[in-house]
Amino acid sequence: MRLKSWKTTLVFVCAVVLAGAPALAQTVKIGVAAPFTGPAASYGENIKSGVETKVAELNAAGGINGMPVEAVYFDELCDPKEAATVAPRIVRDRAIVGVVGHVCSSAHLAALPTYVRVGIPVISPTATNVTIGDQNADRAGRVWSFRNVYLDDYQGQFLARYAKEVLGLARIAVFYENNDYGIGLKDAFLKEAAAVGLAVVGSEGYVKGASDFTPQLTKLRGGNPDGLFISGYYNEGALIAAQAANLGMKVVKFGADGLDNVDYIQLGGAAADNTYMTVPFLAAAAPEQAKAFIRTFEEKYRRDLDWMSANAYDAVGLFAAALAAVGPDREKIRDYLAGIDGPEKAYEGITGPTYFNAKGDPEKMAFVKMVQDGRFTAAPRQMR
Amino acid sequence: MLEQQLINGLTLGLIYALIAVGYTMVYGVIQLINFAHGEIYMLGAFFCVTLITAAGLPFYVAMLMAVICCALCGILLDIIAYRPLRRAPRLAALITAIGMSIFLQNLALIIWGSRSKPFPRASLPAYLSEQALVMGQVGLTWLQLFIFAVAIGMMVALFLVIHKTRTGTAMRALAQNRTAAALMGINVNAVISFTFALGSAMGAVAGILVAVYYNTLYPTMGYTAGVKAFAAAVLGGIGSVPGAMVGGVVLGVAEALGAGYVSSLYRDGVAYAVMIAVIVLRPSGILGRAAIDKA
Repeated sequence: MRLKSWKTTLVFVCAVVLAGAPALAQTVKIGVAAPFTGPAASYGENIKSGVETKVAELNAAGGINGMPVEAVYFDELCDPKEAATVAPRIVRDRAIVGVVGHVCSSAHLAALPTYVRVGIPVISPTATNVTIGDQNADRAGRVWSFRNVYLDDYQGQFLARYAKEVLGLARIAVFYENNDYGIGLKDAFLKEAAAVGLAVVGSEGYVKGASDFTPQLTKLRGGNPDGLFISGYYNEGALIAAQAANLGMKVVKFGADGLDNVDYIQLGGAAADNTYMTVPFLAAAAPEQAKAFIRTFEEKYRRDLDWMSANAYDAVGLFAAALAAVGPDREKIRDYLAGIDGPEKAYEGITGPTYFNAKGDPEKMAFVKMVQDGRFTAAPRQMR
Repeated sequence: MLEQQLINGLTLGLIYALIAVGYTMVYGVIQLINFAHGEIYMLGAFFCVTLITAAGLPFYVAMLMAVICCALCGILLDIIAYRPLRRAPRLAALITAIGMSIFLQNLALIIWGSRSKPFPRASLPAYLSEQALVMGQVGLTWLQLFIFAVAIGMMVALFLVIHKTRTGTAMRALAQNRTAAALMGINVNAVISFTFALGSAMGAVAGILVAVYYNTLYPTMGYTAGVKAFAAAVLGGIGSVPGAMVGGVVLGVAEALGAGYVSSLYRDGVAYAVMIAVIVLRPSGILGRAAIDKA
């Protein structure tokens, strides 16, 4: 009898605690998966500063419907292997309602199966690989991974047309990084180049982390190009530009968003000049609602606003809008995001209107910026 | 194009050779593969840049100071990590070497951060960035000539130290038989420390040259360079100093020609295939002597 009442009390206490638990755990968590150490760490820093700014802004305004927001950071080194081990840790934490990440397409592709299987909405601010849109739906056809950045094929097509029509180049050498990002971009470029009649005189590859590119450049130089398409990231891109200059190649360099980092100029030195790149966001041409953010950001971090920070800021903004509308439920948030499917329903962020197609991919325009006298400026001629 | 690829390969190869010499000397004297050697190479580059940016020293002075610092680091590495294990099984020292490599790499990550840094170009003598000669399609920069001169100069100096000085004689004696050398009155620990200092100095020079040549340095740069240089040392015959030099140059040229004529994505593959082919045909390496196992 005594034992029984003891048991009843215990059950009662448990019930009270469990019922009270959601009321106590009011903080909404958003996972942020990015490289915070390792060779791509500066991407992680960019993402973090964008997320941090948005989270601080949300909390200063009293949270989302009274719930404070917290960002939880997961380091995945831009490495598919690491990303695949980080993903289960994220989904296991039930307080995390959505993920901002990953930065690199290959890492995103590696983590994607876990997110889709368990069912957590993901917004990548930077992964531009084309195939992501074919691998992000569960068996019921529901898309779990969205992105608010345009795709490689779009950038590749855009660059081929820009090189021919605006830059007036005729003979292009292609130098690509041997991973999902570099190859996807290169393939789209080659296809569009063939369509618009732009001659490609050579195509060579390199491995991430390499520092000597002279053998490949020597080979490319043989084709006598007037333009060099660097389909990769800024670290290697800067070295490629510098070594091409050392080999006496007088070429206009161009590439996509992967080149867009101040380190490109730092490492490339004078050779970085005369490089064009597509970016999803350009502070100089930003919409009106971005001005306040740009000012706060530049005061706080003492550097120019980059597109990754801007997109990360908007990715958190999209989650905040979803949370405000449907509350902290992974599935409902997904439904909300999937419902943003046309220009009239678009989320008005600082990077312009964002809406998703049936594959979770956005339709956003590209800006072109260039390096001139050791500084980034908007390219004199944009293309729509 | 062939001439240009040979120049590219030779530049790379001489740098590998400088690092490989450090592996092979230490192996020759205490039969230890010092995996932390790649990190000394990385530290050389970082010391040099820090001395230029923080202390404002001119390039040549900073380079010399960085090399001396690295030589001291090499001695310290031996005293702290390897000397206590001199009589322990070889595997223990090998694991310690890997541990020291990871430790130094992470220490550098904490001190200097993970981002790639440019070499402070303003401090470099202006002539280094100019073309020394251009013949049609073939170009050679002063910087490449500087690398050739420094690397070959260092190797000649090393050869003289090993063959014409008493310490060099002691090193060679130690390589033949440690017990007998000790019985002849050679201060074994001092000679081993000297070997580490010499190898580390060569590694540091390589690190600085690479940082200048590619205008970039980062804390993980020692890993790949270390692996390549180790391969070069094995290719040339580990324990043989001229072998390490030859091995480095062969590997560098194979890599450049592989990238230029086979496929740019298989450049490392081509380099290692050459290494494997040599090892299969001559297990002791190009210039290595067939070892008589002392055990």
